[in-house]
Amino acid sequence: MKKPYKFFKTIPMKIYVLIAAVFTFVFFSNDFGLVDIQKTAIIIAAGVDRTEQGFHLTAQIGKPKGSERSSCGTASVDVEGDGETISECIAEIYSKTGWVPKLIFCDTILVGEETAKDDIMGALGYFLRTEYMPDSCSVAVCKGTARDMLKSVSAIEDTTSAALNKLFSNAAEKSGKVMKQSLKEFAIDYYGASESSFLPYITSESQDCGGESGGGEGPSSSNGGAAGGQSSSGGESEKPDKKIFKAEHTALFSQGSMTAVLEPQQTFTFSLLKGKVEAGTFAVDDHGEPVNVSVLKDKGNANLKVENKPQVTLSVNLKVYLFDRGVSSPIEDVARKELSKEAIEKSTQLISEQITELWNTCVEANCDLFHLSRSLYRSSPKKYAEWKELLLSTADLKVEAKVETMK
Amino acid sequence: MKTISGKLETDIARLKEMLPAEDILTFSFVSEEKLPFTVIFADPVTDKELLGEQVVRPLLHYTGKPKAEDIGKQLTSPELRNEKTYDKLCTEILAGNPVLLWEGADEGIIVGTKKVFVRAISEPPTDVTIKGPREGFIEDIKINTSLIRRRLKNPALRMEMLQVGKQSDTYVAVCFLEGITPQATVDAVKEKLQAIEMDIVADSSYLVHFLKDRNYSLAKQVGTTEKPDIFCAKIAEGRVGILVDGSPIALTVPYLLVEDFQASEDYFVPAARATFTRLLRIFALLVAIYLPAFYIAAQLFKLQLFPIKLLQTISGSIRDIPLSPSLEMLLVLLVLEVLNEASIRMPKYVGMALSVVGALVLGETAVNAGFVSTPAIIIIAFSGIGLYAVPNLIEQTSVVRLAMLLAAGSVGTYGILLLSAFLLFYLVTAESFGTPLMAPFSPVIPHDMRDSLVKYNMGSLKTRPKTLKSKNKRRMKDA
Amino acid sequence: MHKISARQIYFYLAAIAPVGKLMLMPTQLAFYAKNDLLLPAAMNYLLQAGAVFLALLFASKNRTFYDALAGTIGKIAAKIITCILVLFFLYAGLLPLLAQKLYVQKTLYDTLPSAITFFPFFLLSAYLCAKPLSSLGRVWDILLPVSIVGYLGIIVLSIQNADFGALMPIGASGADGIFGGFAYSLNWFFDSALILALAGRFEYKKGMAWKGMLSYLAGGAAILFFLAVFYGVYSDIALHQTFGFSEISKYFSGITVLGRIDYLFSFALTFVIIFYGSLPLHAGVECVYEAFGSKRYLRTLFSVIINVGMLVGVYFLNFKLFVTLQVITKMLFWIFPIFCVLLPALCLLLKRRKNEKAV
Repeated sequence: MKKPYKFFKTIPMKIYVLIAAVFTFVFFSNDFGLVDIQKTAIIIAAGVDRTEQGFHLTAQIGKPKGSERSSCGTASVDVEGDGETISECIAEIYSKTGWVPKLIFCDTILVGEETAKDDIMGALGYFLRTEYMPDSCSVAVCKGTARDMLKSVSAIEDTTSAALNKLFSNAAEKSGKVMKQSLKEFAIDYYGASESSFLPYITSESQDCGGESGGGEGPSSSNGGAAGGQSSSGGESEKPDKKIFKAEHTALFSQGSMTAVLEPQQTFTFSLLKGKVEAGTFAVDDHGEPVNVSVLKDKGNANLKVENKPQVTLSVNLKVYLFDRGVSSPIEDVARKELSKEAIEKSTQLISEQITELWNTCVEANCDLFHLSRSLYRSSPKKYAEWKELLLSTADLKVEAKVETMK
Repeated sequence: MKTISGKLETDIARLKEMLPAEDILTFSFVSEEKLPFTVIFADPVTDKELLGEQVVRPLLHYTGKPKAEDIGKQLTSPELRNEKTYDKLCTEILAGNPVLLWEGADEGIIVGTKKVFVRAISEPPTDVTIKGPREGFIEDIKINTSLIRRRLKNPALRMEMLQVGKQSDTYVAVCFLEGITPQATVDAVKEKLQAIEMDIVADSSYLVHFLKDRNYSLAKQVGTTEKPDIFCAKIAEGRVGILVDGSPIALTVPYLLVEDFQASEDYFVPAARATFTRLLRIFALLVAIYLPAFYIAAQLFKLQLFPIKLLQTISGSIRDIPLSPSLEMLLVLLVLEVLNEASIRMPKYVGMALSVVGALVLGETAVNAGFVSTPAIIIIAFSGIGLYAVPNLIEQTSVVRLAMLLAAGSVGTYGILLLSAFLLFYLVTAESFGTPLMAPFSPVIPHDMRDSLVKYNMGSLKTRPKTLKSKNKRRMKDA
Repeated sequence: MHKISARQIYFYLAAIAPVGKLMLMPTQLAFYAKNDLLLPAAMNYLLQAGAVFLALLFASKNRTFYDALAGTIGKIAAKIITCILVLFFLYAGLLPLLAQKLYVQKTLYDTLPSAITFFPFFLLSAYLCAKPLSSLGRVWDILLPVSIVGYLGIIVLSIQNADFGALMPIGASGADGIFGGFAYSLNWFFDSALILALAGRFEYKKGMAWKGMLSYLAGGAAILFFLAVFYGVYSDIALHQTFGFSEISKYFSGITVLGRIDYLFSFALTFVIIFYGSLPLHAGVECVYEAFGSKRYLRTLFSVIINVGMLVGVYFLNFKLFVTLQVITKMLFWIFPIFCVLLPALCLLLKRRKNEKAV
């Protein structure tokens, strides 16, 4: 019995030497069919447009700016692919460039306007499905095509995606000018009881002439041309038309299709109702003079009561202060933060009107923007089953707006 | 064992036969009463002046009987012993203690006139303290024991001398506090030391191998210190200390991993500061071990571990680097190790030049030439510094860092986690003289955590660590 | 090796056993029970807590499962039953391992790596299994804070994004959903069977059965809270979120600035899952060794055999995860209550022979 015992006693050491050798070999050969940083195309933004064949994907690939190792900042290359599905588009990009596209850092998905009018989940499904993409990324609809929007040159940032990301910052959201949306939240809304959601709607305007244009309109900086081409931004080839992007509009979705676009003031009202505004401003008339009011604190709420008939209460409760006047004022007035009684009344009236207008737009667009169906389902599945089809069209609206000034 | 015959010529001849070396000399003289004496000594290690003063001069006028007891009374040396056997006498002669024989002697007298070559007591380079005692052990065991005795003026302090090494017969002192250190630990240490059969014990580190429970283990299982204050503190907690003649490094057992995260200075500064520095040490060590590995794993397998901006910077830096990320990191790590090894061995003035060559020429030029990237150099530099936050574990941690790098370069983050799991299991199951290496964290001993990675005020450390199973538990009275 | 202490058993029940259930169980429950996922999980926890109580009562007699069997029904029968229990451990451990493999491939890599990346797990597992089961006690001491830090980190980062209203209305998924969720998630609750394997290897202290059960319920409460947060964060798309615990906290606002710091916490939990994954194999090796082994090298041999067998199984089922999931959770779910509820209860009936030695 001694021999096998000795054999087994020494075997672990031999095995571990063998393992160490195997690991060292793997370390030096380093290949599990994996893709390291040098073979990777890091997609920082993706633009999706529907085509006759299926989809057209524009991937903005981030790369370090300049060629010196000490340089920093980001430039980008736009690479495009076509296919019946988004994954086919990605495969085409891979086959064209030899880079393996990775979506792990993709924090913006831009969907073309026309694409959004059909069920948008056809375009977004891949991004939700893939495990190698964060569903925390921002999603937006753009005027024109996503391709042209992504390939335009930003006036303020190295890359379009960085400029778009700035629009979706927390600060921008607090201003009430932008309602950002993540892929996850959109998917929850889409698959939830309300089947309604929203996405920011991006427009661009030329910095020089100031005229608003969609991606499809006006001169494009793109030099990529046809699908499959590549263009670079952040370089200095020719003087491109630089664009400034805006996300003041908001696209409304019902059952995945874009059914309306909110105007900037409606977006602001929507933000107020969501209770997200902390530093936003709006203008009212005070004794015939324009006054700018800043929101300090915002409490917004959407409430649904269903007895004989659904009744929706949209309420906003604001704490505001005088931010600016359009005319010159004496120094005592400059030091004042308090709004006049008239300005408060007008603010209340303005907000009430805008809430009503927003509600009407939602009803017209059949978009349950405030997830009333969802709250009805959560409180009473029976009533939900009874009212889910007619909720928006039959509900009575009650608006409660309260504006208090800082004293 | 043969004893001396009493016939002077025969005994001298016998000893000369046993010690044929040329540096073993004899000196014969006759007293006034014509009694012949001979001193046998090892020339290089015997203080001859002292020998003449304390032995020869008093005996020149000796008129008494040729009895060891009477002769011993005449000698002025404070260190005298009588021995009968040739073997023992030989050992003493070689140790530098001359043997006095005379005609009709029933015993030889060993005189403690060893010539002592010692360097001055200085601050140990491995454990520098800003606040606190600065003296360190030296190579002489007697001086080292005196340093300990000066701190522990306690009859319970036992320093049992053993001789280890078939050829060297090196003195090894087993130090412990009777009534505090568990006798089982003392016996186990003595048993292991006595069982050692090796030619020479050049340093205390030779004994470490025999004191370990797992012989081939990379994990440290015996504590080391160069400072008598730490040594005494450890003994007072209930450990056994081991001093080896010829070595300034003292050993202590049982060893706990947490010991190496504690510096002597922690006890001389406020508890909050000590806790902070201990946590900083473990953080630095973890960063040193894991940072290069995670950097590689991230680059190869999981880019998301980087924030996007950092990724862009790294991506720009590594562009055009001819080596794969893992090989690049391995290369930089090996360069660091080589520089480290070379700078330790080199004379100080050359070491300075080497630092310049290493840091400026190699680093800067390699980056400029595109051999390696700047982030790789930064990561390894940070890791290199972090490793020295716990200098006593450097032999282990540098190997672990390399292993982590291999695991990360092969399998990625999962490799790092698996290797960490292996190390954890290995460490928690390791013991040093029956004490778990990872105590007081595994097994959890809440009481002992007061002086582990966190440190409570002195007033809270009233009892000895439970881990060490000390017989006398209380070390401080309630205020 | 020393025996496992009572404290270490509590640590295991409260903080290590629950972590293994974070992998696929939330998704599975969301699939069957939707917003009612807390109910089947709570039912399973209550049932299993009772079974843990029974298993700990059995362990109070300080004898191993095999000894107790041999003392009552004889050695040959005891060996046969032990082998069946070992097969059950391998069966129960299969899904957690497949889940771990998938989790590793999905979460720790940017692109799907080769299945071979999971191979090193079996190297570690073989090493662990070659050591006595009681040596795991000290590991649990360390894993407790790791598990707590990982869990709390993930919860703290994700709770602000949770809409607990998503859990309403209670009972919406109906009896089918709730009981379906209960039955089809039984496969994650085999902790009482593992306690049977641990019996005789830990020091039983007075009241340990109660305390163990309470520890298990405490861990269960943490899991229920996680399930609530999980469904609060993902709501109607929760059933799509496999391995939610590693992704649930990425919506934390600081992530955009700091990068994926939440990975630190999910790595901490992965670290615990590694040990959790090898535990059924370890229990299997221990039982076989006790029944058939006498020499130390045999433990190593059994460890190698069981781990190689499991490795082959895992790689054979590499592309059949969904089918395996269906078979284990939907078709053969009844096996779990037999071994995890009935067996601990039956074990209490085992008698001690007069000459039987307490371990």
